[in-house]
Amino acid sequence: MHEPQKKWLWHLVFAGCLGLIVLSTWLVSQKVDYPWNWQRISSYIINTDPAEITAPGDGTIELNENGQLVLNLDNGDPAVLISDYTTLEVTDGDLIFEGDILATVEQWEFGTILHGLFITIEISIYSLAIALVLGLITGLMRISTNPALRNLAIVYIEIIRGTPLLVQLFIAYFFIATVLELDKFTAGVAGLAVFAGAYIAEIVRSGIQSIPVGQMEAARSLGMSYPKAMIYIILPQAFKRTLPPLAGQFINLIKDSSLVSVIAVVDLTKAGREAAGSSFASLEIWFVVALLYLLLTGPLSWAIQRLEKRLSASD
Amino acid sequence: MTDTADNIIIADKVDKYYNNGALHALKAVTTNVHRGEVVVIVGPSGSGKSTFLRTLNQLETIQSGTITIDGVDMYARGTNINKLRENVGMVFQGFNLFPHKTALENVMLAPLKVAKRSPAEVQEHARELLYKVGLADRMENYPSQLSGGQMQRVAIARALAMRPDIMLFDEPTSALDPEMVGEVLDVMKSLAAEGMTMVVVTHEMGFAREVADRVLFMEEGALLVDEKPDAFFDNPEHPRLQQFLSKIL
Repeated sequence: MHEPQKKWLWHLVFAGCLGLIVLSTWLVSQKVDYPWNWQRISSYIINTDPAEITAPGDGTIELNENGQLVLNLDNGDPAVLISDYTTLEVTDGDLIFEGDILATVEQWEFGTILHGLFITIEISIYSLAIALVLGLITGLMRISTNPALRNLAIVYIEIIRGTPLLVQLFIAYFFIATVLELDKFTAGVAGLAVFAGAYIAEIVRSGIQSIPVGQMEAARSLGMSYPKAMIYIILPQAFKRTLPPLAGQFINLIKDSSLVSVIAVVDLTKAGREAAGSSFASLEIWFVVALLYLLLTGPLSWAIQRLEKRLSASD
Repeated sequence: MTDTADNIIIADKVDKYYNNGALHALKAVTTNVHRGEVVVIVGPSGSGKSTFLRTLNQLETIQSGTITIDGVDMYARGTNINKLRENVGMVFQGFNLFPHKTALENVMLAPLKVAKRSPAEVQEHARELLYKVGLADRMENYPSQLSGGQMQRVAIARALAMRPDIMLFDEPTSALDPEMVGEVLDVMKSLAAEGMTMVVVTHEMGFAREVADRVLFMEEGALLVDEKPDAFFDNPEHPRLQQFLSKIL
């Protein structure tokens, strides 16, 4: 009964520690000789540069009978009506050369960083789905009594776990993708899926093996075939137990997807590198990139915790 | 015993080895069980009685001999073991209920997924069975919310749901607290009274004496005694059986 009364104190300590870290980070950032300029990165997130309407050829601006500005082209093509603009850049009588800006339109579009974020999400979802199927099949093969299936699974798992992902991605891109004529995005997805699949296979295997033998015996003695017993009895229980390590693997996969930037896929990391290069605000860019990765992994982690709670209803 | 046509279980010279022959677990075990008969197998631990019981639905495979269940040779080519097991219910010492399913779902699962009977019929039958084992008010509970005795009664109902002709019991009361043994034995007794063919491995000598038609005594993988309960308990002739009974009674 003494415990709960003390708890608020420790929450306060936690908040204090967090505040201290933030404060010291800020102090350090003031000390370094670096011109912080957060405004500069906004266009890499949302690009609000106005779009330009340019002249298709040389000519003269005139008012037509409706009082609208048109560009009479010297080459005899029909006159071009200037419409759907926000700001006019020309007036009646102006001499225009090909490529001149006639007017601008206000608009916005996703910047480099957000485009990269979408690619990262896309890569993660595809490779996750493939990795799950691959891992499930390999995991089941791994515990099979058939030596061919079992040994194939072992060879796959050992090769993938024994080599760095970066090297695997290079091989996937420069060798396999070349031979099979895959594009770099597919090569990246395949490389990540094969990598994560090996780890998921081991998670699936340990999950299945953690279910007491009696469950399989009870299912089989009711007349269920091995696949039915797996589907209705063993896998649902194993799934529940493997959720925490699976969640870790999912999050790893999202983070590992940053490595596809080395094979020129413009994911979040690659976009970050491009933006850092051209914006002269590399520190700000990398902080934003880190935050965006957190925004991807955080909700996933939270969702799996929720699922875990819901599935534990029968415990 | 009497005419062989009525033997629903025929085990002939069943041999089983473990560890590539290092352990001879069953030594030419031969016995028959009539339709509707209750056979209790007793013996010291490690005597092979559970192993023998588990060969009757092929949870353990055998190395030689034959086992015939309701006219079907278990090891003949073309025998569908899943089909055969549908006819042989099994109750385990450790219950082995499916923890992610409620009591009702545990009972309903196999009839739905294996026998593919209609959901309405399966549910009605499952409710009936749970009512019969005295768990009408526990149908929606998960195994973790049930006592050992309740779990074992759900397990019995689950095995009965496939409408088997034979029920195997592998030490069904050994994992129970003493006060719960009775409720499980009562269910088994009523099952026996209904004419179910039962093979029971147990240490409950009272149950054996009261319910069994025959009692078998096994030791070190061999079937040594096969007698009616009276003769088995009151006039044991085999010296090993005398020794065994003197220790436990």
